[in-house]
Amino acid sequence: MNKILIILFAALLMTPLVKNAYAEGGPPANAIKGVFTEVDAANKTATIQVDGQSEPRILSFGDNVIAEDVVLNKKVMVSLDSHAGPNVIKDISIMFFEMTLTKIIALLIVGLIGGLLSGFIGSGGAFVLTPAMMSLGAPGAVAVASNMCHKFPKAMVGAYKRWKYGQADVKLGLVMAATAIIGVQIGIKVQKIILNHWGNAGSNLYVSIIFVLVLVIVGAYVLSDAIKLSKGNLEAKASKLALSLQKIELWPMMEFKVANVRISAWVTVPVGLFTGMLAATIAVGGFIGVPGMIYVVGASALVASATELVVAFIMGAWGSIQWGIAGLIDIRMTLLILAGSLIGVQLGALGTTYVKDHTIKLVMAAVMLIVAVSRGAKVPGYLADLDVISPLPRQLASMLNTISFWALIAALAVAGIIISVAMIKGIMQDKAEKQGKLVQETVV
Amino acid sequence: MNENNPYQTRLAVNKSKRSSTSAVTSPATAKQTQTTYRKKKPVGKMLLFGSVSLAAYALLISNEALVTNTYTLGGWWAALPVGTAFGFSFIHGAFASNLLSVLGLEPKKA
Repeated sequence: MNKILIILFAALLMTPLVKNAYAEGGPPANAIKGVFTEVDAANKTATIQVDGQSEPRILSFGDNVIAEDVVLNKKVMVSLDSHAGPNVIKDISIMFFEMTLTKIIALLIVGLIGGLLSGFIGSGGAFVLTPAMMSLGAPGAVAVASNMCHKFPKAMVGAYKRWKYGQADVKLGLVMAATAIIGVQIGIKVQKIILNHWGNAGSNLYVSIIFVLVLVIVGAYVLSDAIKLSKGNLEAKASKLALSLQKIELWPMMEFKVANVRISAWVTVPVGLFTGMLAATIAVGGFIGVPGMIYVVGASALVASATELVVAFIMGAWGSIQWGIAGLIDIRMTLLILAGSLIGVQLGALGTTYVKDHTIKLVMAAVMLIVAVSRGAKVPGYLADLDVISPLPRQLASMLNTISFWALIAALAVAGIIISVAMIKGIMQDKAEKQGKLVQETVV
Repeated sequence: MNENNPYQTRLAVNKSKRSSTSAVTSPATAKQTQTTYRKKKPVGKMLLFGSVSLAAYALLISNEALVTNTYTLGGWWAALPVGTAFGFSFIHGAFASNLLSVLGLEPKKA
């Protein structure tokens, strides 16, 4: 325990050195928040009272902005067009949408199933929560911030439960989180280079292609492994790659007691870095972190998914502080999702005590592959934006968007069903076994 | 030392008796085994944490405008959303944990 405290203390001391160390991508730079007090349609300007500043600021409209876009006396987020000048509005979005009963119920349900998923496989939820919040009317940056702020308390509760069940390897989690935060910085740098070279559409295309490639390749591998294990009814063993990597005796060696692994830091650190880099690029680091811990480090799926919750807690807390400093968290959404997800995450965590390793792998693979379809549906649109292919007909474009959204919902639903069925089966089997034992004892 | 203990003697008598007869279970023994210690469900705790959590949600939603404005001021105000999320996770998390216990959902014991 003392060692863990020393690591945490060291990380705390290093914080000032890496002020801009973001967890999974940072808040937008060219945006301001405030309330519009006046609009001058004739001169194409509007006066805004920016948060934290006493003097009002006058902004002029960009090319696509009209006077009707400016909403008075409501908190808004304004993206500025830095290429056109210091005070040119690029885009205006209202920060807080009206909360209706339907929206509250939607947030509760998505939270519950998202929580169930992350309690079970260690990650997930973010991939559907952020788009769900955006479709309810939240601006993208607010959706990301609110999701981040809901992630760390959820992961904390889940990690605590699974630590109590003896599944979470806190030390492995700390090593992964610390290296992943460094990996995120590298990922952001790469993103910036691409954004500067190929612009927004190029960056979107790059992200989507990496996303689809990684998820399909890793997802297919995990799926084939899960099917092999479930058919043969074999106990899960460490992969051949992990076993040969564990034989490399290169200083410094690290020992992870819960994961029951002794491996060189030269293996664990790159896994963490890579997870962080992908987290910065595709925003679903867990989908890489968990398979990385299973197939490269050599932990079981049970331990890897539990440890991912420790990683998610640290990265989520780190990220929430940064998004909070930028002032973009919609606490209403955060807490409404938490209301469902705190129940879901504990249910998912206790579900893992009833299932075998391959069930966790199966759920993870199913989610990864369906989410890949969702993002794949967006690729033609980005290709058209880049003029690589001719513009899509409007009908096709809207159909692809619908497919993309419903694939996310399908991923959530499929995961929810597999987890529930596996859990109910496990509980019934356990009860039957206990009753059988009882009868036996009585007879003897 | 054991000679003065009535239980010891009685148990010994019973044992010798059973071993001589065939393995027939007496109904009394079976019943006794079945009514072993059963964990009490934490209904009270669930209601307590549930009502605190509900009150916290009601307080937040009734002051929606104030909350959304102060929580998004940025800078040091970031402590508010992060702290609130932390606090809710304890209150509502405790409620959720007790709720699952009341519903009879417990982790498998090895």
